[in-house]
Amino acid sequence: MNEVTLEIDGQKVRAEEGTTILEAARSVGIDIPTLCYHQALTPYGGCRLCTVEIFRGRRSRIVTSCVYPVDEGLVVKTKSDTVIRDRKMLIELMLAHAPKAKVIQDLAREYGVKETRFKTEDPENLCILCGLCTRICEERIGVSAINFVGRGVARKVQTPFQGTLDVDFDACIACGSCASVCPTGAIKLEDITPKKPIPILSEFEMGLDSRAPIYIPFAQAIPNVATLDRDQCVHFATGKCKICEESCEAGAIDFEQEDEIIEVEVGTIIVATGYDQFDPSVIPQYGYKKYDNVLTGLEFERITCAAGPTEGKILLKDGREPESVAIVHCVGSRDQNYHEYCSRVCCMYGLKYAHLAKELANADVYEFYIDMRCFGEGYEEFYKRLSEAGVNFIRGKVAKVTDEAINDEEKGKLIVVSEDTLLGKMVRVPVDMVILCCALEARSDAENVAKLVNINRRADGFFLERHVKLDPVATPTDGIFIAGCCEGPRDIPDTVAQAEATAAKALSLISKGTVTLEAAVSTVDESICHGCGRCEEICTFHAPTIISKDGVLISSVNEALCKGCGSCAVVCPTGAIAIKHFTQDEILAQVAALTEA
Amino acid sequence: MPRLDSPAELEALRQEILSKRDPDKPCITICSGTGCHAYGSEKVNAALEKEVKKQGLKAEVDVRRTGCHGFCERGTLVVIYPDGICYVNVQPEDAAEVVRSAKENKVIDRLLYVDPTTGEKVIHESDIPFYKYQNRIIFGNNRRIDPKSIDDYIALDGYSALSKVLSQMTPEQVLEEVKRSGLRGRGGGGFPTGWKWQTTRDASGEPKYVIVNCDEGDPGAYMDRSLMEGNPHSVLEGLTIGAYAIGSHEGFIYVRAEYPLAVENLDIAIQQAEGCGLLGKNILGSGFDFEVKVHRGAGAFVSGESSALMTAIEGKVGEPRPKYIHTSEKGIWDRPSCLNNVETWANVPLIINNGANWYASIGTEGSKGTKIFSLVGKVNNTGLVEVPMGIPLRDIVYKIGGGIPRGKKFKAVQTGGPSGGCIPEQFLDSRVDFDELARLGSMMGSGGMIVMDEDTCMVDTARYFLDFLADESCGKCTPCREGIKQMLDILTDICGGRGQDGDIELLEELSEVLRDTSLCALGGTAPNPVLTTIQYFRDEYAAHINEKRCPAYVCKELVSYYIDPAKCQACMICLRNCSAEAISGGKDKIHVIEQSKCTKCGNCFDLCPPRFEAVEKISGESVPPSLPEDERVLVRGKE
Amino acid sequence: MDQEKIDQIVDNYTGEDGVLIQLLLDVQKELNWVPKEAVQRISERLQIPLSQIYRVASFYKSMSLKPRGRHLVNVCLGTACQVRDGPRVMDRIRDVLGINPGETTPDMKFTLERVNCLGCCALGPVMVVDGEYHGKMMPAKAEEILKGYV
Repeated sequence: MNEVTLEIDGQKVRAEEGTTILEAARSVGIDIPTLCYHQALTPYGGCRLCTVEIFRGRRSRIVTSCVYPVDEGLVVKTKSDTVIRDRKMLIELMLAHAPKAKVIQDLAREYGVKETRFKTEDPENLCILCGLCTRICEERIGVSAINFVGRGVARKVQTPFQGTLDVDFDACIACGSCASVCPTGAIKLEDITPKKPIPILSEFEMGLDSRAPIYIPFAQAIPNVATLDRDQCVHFATGKCKICEESCEAGAIDFEQEDEIIEVEVGTIIVATGYDQFDPSVIPQYGYKKYDNVLTGLEFERITCAAGPTEGKILLKDGREPESVAIVHCVGSRDQNYHEYCSRVCCMYGLKYAHLAKELANADVYEFYIDMRCFGEGYEEFYKRLSEAGVNFIRGKVAKVTDEAINDEEKGKLIVVSEDTLLGKMVRVPVDMVILCCALEARSDAENVAKLVNINRRADGFFLERHVKLDPVATPTDGIFIAGCCEGPRDIPDTVAQAEATAAKALSLISKGTVTLEAAVSTVDESICHGCGRCEEICTFHAPTIISKDGVLISSVNEALCKGCGSCAVVCPTGAIAIKHFTQDEILAQVAALTEA
Repeated sequence: MPRLDSPAELEALRQEILSKRDPDKPCITICSGTGCHAYGSEKVNAALEKEVKKQGLKAEVDVRRTGCHGFCERGTLVVIYPDGICYVNVQPEDAAEVVRSAKENKVIDRLLYVDPTTGEKVIHESDIPFYKYQNRIIFGNNRRIDPKSIDDYIALDGYSALSKVLSQMTPEQVLEEVKRSGLRGRGGGGFPTGWKWQTTRDASGEPKYVIVNCDEGDPGAYMDRSLMEGNPHSVLEGLTIGAYAIGSHEGFIYVRAEYPLAVENLDIAIQQAEGCGLLGKNILGSGFDFEVKVHRGAGAFVSGESSALMTAIEGKVGEPRPKYIHTSEKGIWDRPSCLNNVETWANVPLIINNGANWYASIGTEGSKGTKIFSLVGKVNNTGLVEVPMGIPLRDIVYKIGGGIPRGKKFKAVQTGGPSGGCIPEQFLDSRVDFDELARLGSMMGSGGMIVMDEDTCMVDTARYFLDFLADESCGKCTPCREGIKQMLDILTDICGGRGQDGDIELLEELSEVLRDTSLCALGGTAPNPVLTTIQYFRDEYAAHINEKRCPAYVCKELVSYYIDPAKCQACMICLRNCSAEAISGGKDKIHVIEQSKCTKCGNCFDLCPPRFEAVEKISGESVPPSLPEDERVLVRGKE
Repeated sequence: MDQEKIDQIVDNYTGEDGVLIQLLLDVQKELNWVPKEAVQRISERLQIPLSQIYRVASFYKSMSLKPRGRHLVNVCLGTACQVRDGPRVMDRIRDVLGINPGETTPDMKFTLERVNCLGCCALGPVMVVDGEYHGKMMPAKAEEILKGYV
């Protein structure tokens, strides 16, 4: 591609043949105002705001920079007197056409257009007929659900036969691209189609917010790159779009990318697969998913996060601030029906929520607990502070959450029905928001992971450590370590400590270079073995393998893998395989020594 | 019709046709263009044919329906050849007499044209002042040709230019000839045709297309229509020659929806030409292929703009495209496309047959050849006129046009349609060509020439053009869509008596921005009618704004109707025909218009007998108070 | 609406590109308007999105997406007719029919359209009803002619 050199506002600019003046100007940071331009759509040349003055010799011409191609030696002025005059008038005309459109008001302010001398026909009109919505629907989404209709001042954006179309011919896929690309907010999805868009719920935001098909999972993601959800991506559905590819300056998007299977040989594996939050919808009397304002702990985390869906404000579903909040402990934990264990962290984060609710929303807080387990550094002090601050602690298991009011005070609220063991009676507490402190449980795919790396699980579902007191980060399987909540619920300081321990253990294994093995491993008498394969079959550590040696099949034992359990010796029909130091002869000799009186 | 496979065969056919025609045999030609059709020419034709049959004169008298002759004011026109005796305003009842006179070589006095200035009757067509001062090198053939007959065209040397080109000239030679002739586009742009062809030929991309623009959207212009209806073969021939020069094998003819007769005659012409081997594959055995498709327009003025037209041919909405890449390089489906007006193509066979030098000898330095104008409006001889470039405007209006009817005073000539401007009296001696008209602030345009007199309001004219453009604007770009609407609002207010100080300046300001920033020429030239009327008729604007007065008594809201009690003869004609029942009075009782009920329809003004002329139009001043009831008795015998 | 008729029209243009406008003109001629079912059928046959066809039909004056009256009244308001008092004729017709240009009378008898130059400038002002030309119109004359139509 040839490059040309042109001058824009006195600056020499190099650009490839075929680029427009607008693209060339933007590439060097010269900003030209536009309304109907979008980098991923074909240039339209409709709003005329990107007008510039070009000079060739002594002749000058007014052209729109979004469509005019660069040329060698072209001289461009983006803010000449004529250009400014023209832009001001265009803005004045647009101000008359759509006086309430914020983007036009901003332009008017920027260019010193205080008011418009022209008549406004429809003061509520927001559409500036820039065509971005129709073009994105046609060029990128590929369905052409909306288009221009009529001409001249009667021109408008519409679906064909507005409102009277048979459903079969409603081409709109409710993707919302038109609304997202509209500079004035004039187009609303409900005006286009009765179809309701199904939002793609952000997994990170616990379903409280939506995300795009291409997204960076969260701000601190590692690696901090975008990922493409194939199932939701319009390109994979219609073959079109690809706006992301167009906008990516680094050219990083590749739709042809396939999953890669990478094989790595390692000697140590650390399993840190985390936990799942217990789903309280299996306890229907708590009203989760039934009532709007019953939340899980993780959902409340997102709400109070400044980068979350409500920008850190504690809000009810309808946008109001809650006047009162109930926090329910032991949902799914310490419960015969679900998990008998204590989830260890909920008491403390329950207190944290109480504190936040008081600080941020100035709400009345009711904490329903069975025991307060404040075992760590500063934890007990925090609990005391909160009771002094006026948090209401009610000792009792919550029976249910309901919206059926029995008096005026309870109308419109969620009523937490619980026992108060200290008062010795049932209480009904009306609140605006209920937070359920849900159990931490083993991940749903823990079984698969365990099988994969050959480790075991405890009865409660978490992974089994080698020794509950003395070797909590290792597993019975050599070289496989576990860290964090996959081993059991724990809080952040404990998780960090454990992680460091696991890493240290793994490193020491690696740095040793050699491993000392147990001497009692199995060994094969090749003269007796006839390669039946039963030892290979039974060994869970894959230590014996049948190989061919001098044309004969025999068993060969990998001593590094063998744990000396003796299962192979038991199944061997010929007695060819036996554990060293535990061979038949040796055992019999020991027995003989014992019986020799 | 046998297929012609060589120039020699074409010549042979021509001789054969001519041999069968007796040049001395009387031929009654009836103008059958749409204009005369509206006068009832079909009935005249039917009557003539019936008479010929009845008088048993089939072998002795020919009857031929031809294309438009141009003198539309006096339809139905009948011309008897070979003498060229011209009868005007012919009715079906005249058929018998016309046939007999043709046979007997006599002249029917009462049907002759009467020169209004001399009062004399004119027998021969060529002596009629309307025709005498024209130079009808292109349009003249219309009267000799039945558009549905290719034989007629061939008999007049039709397709000889194509034959010459295919057998004796290379494409480069044709290009040179057209360039040297100085032919400029007749559609309005005035771009040198030869250069446009060259650019298209040089552009890369196949296939190349040639296009005939018969959209003719300018209101008041109908030359292209009459040319296409009356002599479609001349356009086809020119187009084929152009295609050969450019290297194109596919052509489109875009005809607007409002011209069904043109489409019909064109379809027949194409069929006939293809049947003869003068169009289609291996034309005249030369090996050159060229096919043509007719594409109908659908009622959008903006689609006549060249880039919009090409988009319409692609089947999409006919909106203009940005102009920075020329359509001669990237046109229909991004292929090189050469678009020219109907009249431009029709000039080509003449240039080939008579040579570039001959063509360049007609016209002025910058504008060669002739131009067909539609001379309409407040002029005596309305019609289509073909004049050499450089003819003084005065000659067109007075010598050919016969001046302003009913003794009214000339005010202005509007040229160039909605993109053009109004030229006032002081420039009547200007020579009409591309550059001179542009210098005066107007433009040639497609050739519409509307004469206006003292009864035309120039502010209303400007408002009319903007109203037209607002209706036709595609609405894509902000300046045209919003700007024209706002200019129209301002002008409507001025015409309605709501004009304010600063309106003219605002109009001028808007005009500058529209000129600079519009996407296409519709918006870009929209200010022209406004700016020329402001420039030359500012006093009319001032009267409307400052005095709330319309000097021409046109703007309804500024005009009141008043019956002069001194003149009213109580004949009751106006009273009975007033649709608003606003006139009170009776036999012998002076009629009075009740202003609050009057809708300003002007019926009373039209109907008051000329000998009374009692109804007056008043503007800019209040209506005199009505006579008290008891004084309204009419006393006859009063002066 | 007869889907067969639409299919026949579409079949006439098989294999050609850019025929949408011509197709719609034929439909308009055949049915006196362009109904929704026709647009849907063309969309199916030609695989063109519905909105694009609707856009074309709504852009052009020669196509009507609403049913038209039995009689089409075209009043010329080209410059020549304008200058010869054409607007007064249009005003009278508007009064008589009670509709504006582009509209149809409620009894579906007349559709009124404004045209810009029919090429009969010598006869201006001109009114065309069902293809029949009436020249040198005056408001009263126009009213009389229209009253003669059933």
